[in-house]
Amino acid sequence: MLPFRGMSQTANAVRAEFRARPPGPFDTIATTVREVTLRRRLIAYLVRADLKKRGANTVLGNIWWILDPLLTMLVYVILVTIIVRSTREAYPLFIFAAILPWKWFSSTLNDAVTSIIGREKIIKQVKFPKIVLPLASVGGGLISFLFGLIPLSALLILFYSTHISPWLLLIPVIAAVQVVFTMGVSILASGLTVYFRDLGNVTGHALRIWFYLSPALYGTEQIESLATNHKELFTLYELNPFAGLFESYRDVIYYGQAPEWNLLVIVLAESIALLVAAVLVFRRLESSFAKVL
Amino acid sequence: MVSAIDVGRLGVRYNLRLNRKNTIRESFKNMASWARGPQHFWALRDVSFQVDHGESLAVIGPNGAGKSTLLQVLAGILEPTEGGIAVNGRISSLLTLGAGFDPDLSGRDNILLAGEFMGLDYRLMRQRLPEIIEFADIGQFIDAPIKTYSSGMNARLGFSIATAVEPDVLLLDEVLSTGDATFRTKSQERVRDLMKTARAIVLVTHDMSWATDFCNHAILLEKGHIVAAGNPRAVVDIHVERSEQRRNGETPNPLPPIVDAGLARIGLAPASASG
Repeated sequence: MLPFRGMSQTANAVRAEFRARPPGPFDTIATTVREVTLRRRLIAYLVRADLKKRGANTVLGNIWWILDPLLTMLVYVILVTIIVRSTREAYPLFIFAAILPWKWFSSTLNDAVTSIIGREKIIKQVKFPKIVLPLASVGGGLISFLFGLIPLSALLILFYSTHISPWLLLIPVIAAVQVVFTMGVSILASGLTVYFRDLGNVTGHALRIWFYLSPALYGTEQIESLATNHKELFTLYELNPFAGLFESYRDVIYYGQAPEWNLLVIVLAESIALLVAAVLVFRRLESSFAKVL
Repeated sequence: MVSAIDVGRLGVRYNLRLNRKNTIRESFKNMASWARGPQHFWALRDVSFQVDHGESLAVIGPNGAGKSTLLQVLAGILEPTEGGIAVNGRISSLLTLGAGFDPDLSGRDNILLAGEFMGLDYRLMRQRLPEIIEFADIGQFIDAPIKTYSSGMNARLGFSIATAVEPDVLLLDEVLSTGDATFRTKSQERVRDLMKTARAIVLVTHDMSWATDFCNHAILLEKGHIVAAGNPRAVVDIHVERSEQRRNGETPNPLPPIVDAGLARIGLAPASASG
């Protein structure tokens, strides 16, 4: 029973008493994990709905998930081998090892940016944990990445069979680190877009710059040789999670060797920190989504 | 006994600086003019009431009084800025019908997706699927994308989904006028059935006959405050009178003390109004 009968205090004092206290960070994370596990079916449904839509709206349907990374690779192969005249052996495989995870990341992020604002109406109608929306984007991206492994396998088997090694089995481990990182970025971006609509315009360009700054079309050793006199600059460069991720993918796919574990662990640590921060920020913003949208 | 709905000193504040037109440029402008102009708007303030089990409450009032905001808070969509609400039982809200559908998905997929959004058990939803389709009466269109539906079909499907599962607490927002005459009769019948089985109902309506015919209690909201509360007929009379005054260009007493029309019955003592 709420004590508003026959009170002698002033209204403001009573109001202050009723004001809700925000939960601590540990509670927030625990609640979020619990809610997401409870709503895993909703996430699965959203992913399935998204796949259905994307498949139904184009003539070639889901074949595009295989064609898309292949065509992107083709563009860069033409650009780099014919115009820049790179002499690297098996260059298509070299860049494909980076383009595939990058496509996954960039398409997920593009999707996540609109995941909340695109569901404006249902948010104003039904109560549900909004975090499932960016997570569904991550899930959808993961599936298209899995499809992307088909052209990768084809490329390896048909043209570059000498590059096949048991280290390829580590792709899921590296991909798992990338999932954590992608979740963090997607959650943060989806929440912030509600408040800053221009974020959608910014992401496209930010992604492009990020891609060229990351060792996708070139190897890290090229950056390292450029920065021989400035070791600290190279360290800074390596802090980019995609430097570590691309290198790791390339180690197992192109070089057929073990990834640099230290680097991968650092990327994982960065990703976990980002994810925790993203969830905390998201939960703070979430309560006003229905008001701002 | 615990009430089905217990609302105490509820206040919901909107930040006027944060709106959908927000861009980074606007934010800088806002920062520059931080001190000027009103920054907040109270959509609801000091709203207290209770709804007991088996009772129904009509919420009436002019446009912009905060009626829909109140329902959104009760449904858990908006968080109260201050005050407290307690709702005991499963809530089903019929807010804007069918607006949340995904236009590219089929009706069937949308039913299942809506069920997931509402957090309903998927087995229950699958089991109710034929019933929902049957009630919505959209025939073979059920497997066509929602974007091909007429607005009437859309509303019918929305109504059918929202009422498919018997809730403990039912929130209704102007839903009783969807579709054609046949469907309206059908839907009113269903709402009446739900009102019989639901443990508590909050109904937002502009149709005064619904308030007087189906509700035990009523509150009149104006500018976010409860202006009158109690017996539905008395409250409706006050509302009609004040609307009349407004139409004639007069301003009714801006914030009169709560008109006591059986306040004690909804857990409100007149003393709380002056507090």
